[in-house]
Amino acid sequence: MKGYINKIIENSFIDGPGNRMAIFLQGCNMGCLYCHNPETQRMCINCGRCLEVCSQGALSIKEGKINYNKQKCIGCDRCLEVCSEFSSPKYFEMQSDELVKIILDNEIFLDGITFSGGECTLQTDFIVDVVEKVKQKSNLTAFIDTNGLINENDLNRLISCVDGFMMDVKAIDDNTHRFLTGVSNETVLKNLKLLAKTDLLYEVRYVLVEGYNDSVEQVKYLAELIKNLNDYTRLVLIPFRPLGVKTYFKNLPLYNRQKYDIIYDEIYKVLKDRAIKKD
Amino acid sequence: MNVFEIISNTNIDYKEKRHLLALAAENTLSYVNLSVKTEKHLKKGILCDIFEGHAPYRPRYILPDYEKYIKNGSEYLGIKPPKDMYEVVNALMVIYQYVPSITGYPVYVGQLDYILENFLDTVSEGEARNLIKMLLINIEKTLPDAFVHMNIGPKETRAGRIILEIERELKKAVPNISLKYSKEETPLDFAKFAAEVALEIGKPYFVNHEEIKNLLGENYGIASCYNTLKIGGGSYTLVRLNLKKASQEAKDYRDFIDNVLPNVVDSLCEVINARAKFIVEEAKFFETSFLAKEGLIDINNFTSMAGIFGLYECIETLKGLKLGHDEEALKYGEEILDKIKEVIDSNEGYGCFGTDGKIGFHAQSGIDSDIDVTAGVRIKIGNEPSIYNQIKTEGRLHKYFNTGVSDIYVFDKTARQNVDGVMKIIDAAMKSGIKVFALNTSDSELIRITGYLVKRSDIEKYNRGEVLREDTVKLGAESIKNNKTLDRRVREVE
Repeated sequence: MKGYINKIIENSFIDGPGNRMAIFLQGCNMGCLYCHNPETQRMCINCGRCLEVCSQGALSIKEGKINYNKQKCIGCDRCLEVCSEFSSPKYFEMQSDELVKIILDNEIFLDGITFSGGECTLQTDFIVDVVEKVKQKSNLTAFIDTNGLINENDLNRLISCVDGFMMDVKAIDDNTHRFLTGVSNETVLKNLKLLAKTDLLYEVRYVLVEGYNDSVEQVKYLAELIKNLNDYTRLVLIPFRPLGVKTYFKNLPLYNRQKYDIIYDEIYKVLKDRAIKKD
Repeated sequence: MNVFEIISNTNIDYKEKRHLLALAAENTLSYVNLSVKTEKHLKKGILCDIFEGHAPYRPRYILPDYEKYIKNGSEYLGIKPPKDMYEVVNALMVIYQYVPSITGYPVYVGQLDYILENFLDTVSEGEARNLIKMLLINIEKTLPDAFVHMNIGPKETRAGRIILEIERELKKAVPNISLKYSKEETPLDFAKFAAEVALEIGKPYFVNHEEIKNLLGENYGIASCYNTLKIGGGSYTLVRLNLKKASQEAKDYRDFIDNVLPNVVDSLCEVINARAKFIVEEAKFFETSFLAKEGLIDINNFTSMAGIFGLYECIETLKGLKLGHDEEALKYGEEILDKIKEVIDSNEGYGCFGTDGKIGFHAQSGIDSDIDVTAGVRIKIGNEPSIYNQIKTEGRLHKYFNTGVSDIYVFDKTARQNVDGVMKIIDAAMKSGIKVFALNTSDSELIRITGYLVKRSDIEKYNRGEVLREDTVKLGAESIKNNKTLDRRVREVE
């Protein structure tokens, strides 16, 4: 079975417990205004705009399809900047067996693997295939980094084969969620509650965007919700960064640290050590 | 520098001048006797004695048995066996002033956690902490040289934890610290604390205790950069072979293996043995040193070290392959090291009783004046593959070395938030055969140069021409310029 992969980070300390290989899958079902890797959102439509800006000849088109030559690429990312489709000419197809081999070759270094994206659960078949094969041959754990917008069937299949979920909640207020992401948070909150009742909801992540979703009341509501749902899920509070952002949100400044600390202190009161601070 | 240039130099302080003047005086004698062929290799820079001087009068590295000193005291120093924490700290501060080396500063200050632990309960907890802090500050002030090396572990002790806590607070380049790490003996919690400290201040090293113990026995220490030697012993000398330069002498790879290597490695052993013999027989070091007379060192624990560096460029020159990126390159690397080891072992090592009569094998980490040549068996800075491939490659190369080999792995700051993840990599590195694992973060104020640490702010001071207390800052600053030290691949996480 093949998957569409944007990139693989062999050594990640920020995608779940311990040292993990993070596999970023291509494609997303939200369109967040502050997305910091917007090139993972959509599939390539082979429009060819990126060809014009590649100074290294790393991109070419053959039979209407963009080809990417990694050896020639110098990583200037001009191709990503000009892509109006929120895609990338660099993502690639990979067979699950090939990915499984890369993972198992590095097994002794890893605590596990994490699928991220994009919204990785859009490729649930691929994930399940890889995870089942990895687990047959190792004790590595598998985590899912998701925006929570997962259909019931996929979610149930993932619950039965992975070891943890890290879920973003973009906003508590539905209108704010629709504004920031383009979709309602109804399914997200439903899935949050469902996952919280399993022992798999490792952490919830919340990005503070000044003036949009950062009222103390909203964030505290989320903290209370998590507190009441179970006794283990962590809430990671992340300050907005303009790095990589493609929409007009790129002009927003880095989230105010003082304000961050005030909000963090509020959620700390609710969740204690389950409230996690980010630099 | 000639004598007048040393005396009139405004960049070095009095102590350093005195040290250089002593070297200049030593060098008025002719070099220890060598064959014409070997002299030629030295002149060409294929071999290099790292400025040890023409007529060595003390071993390069000495690891006194401080535990014995603390147990028995010293007649020569007029120190009685310490009875409490005050006396042990004083006794240590005294003996450090009497331990010779090439730099003039002791390269090994002992297994301090175990030594101090026995006296911890003779004073209150607060006093113990203050005294350890005083000792550490004293070491940093009176022995301002980043090759001054302290050991802790593998077992956890209260003293070991206090040492790490205070070092984390002091944030100084001196002393260098190694944690002898063993998954069996070092509690996970203590190892994690040490890793946390290392991510902040670049030390301690994680030393593969099980591997080194198998080679040298339990009674070993880590001295200077990362030299693994027997306690109560040391190394007379370290002479190194520049594999890049040697490879340029060869017609092709076969010629290198069959002719060039046996020739230059024989010469390497000749220089080493001539120097060791001079120390023992001409300078009569063991007959004059109180350390020997009082049994704090014993010639039976000594050895010499044959160092190599530039394996990366050697393979590149002869085969056009990149170590760390080609499996084939690694196979050539192994063949080259096999050959060197074979030639070293075919020579008798003069006075090398500590390593079964053979000269110790060492992956030398380079010096400030090396340009375009990679330390030891490391992968060229900036060309490192993924960290897993780097460790897997180097793990296979570390197995050859019994007297020191290491590499430095630089993480980005996210590592600090996930010490479990860092421990996973350290454990995997140990399993892969890495003998000494140094970790650092890219934003650290303390930078690990080759095997020693230097403060970023001191380098800036040096570059502005200020006179500095620590002699190793100059080496670090020059090394950064010449060896692209700051371009080491950072294991970045996006």
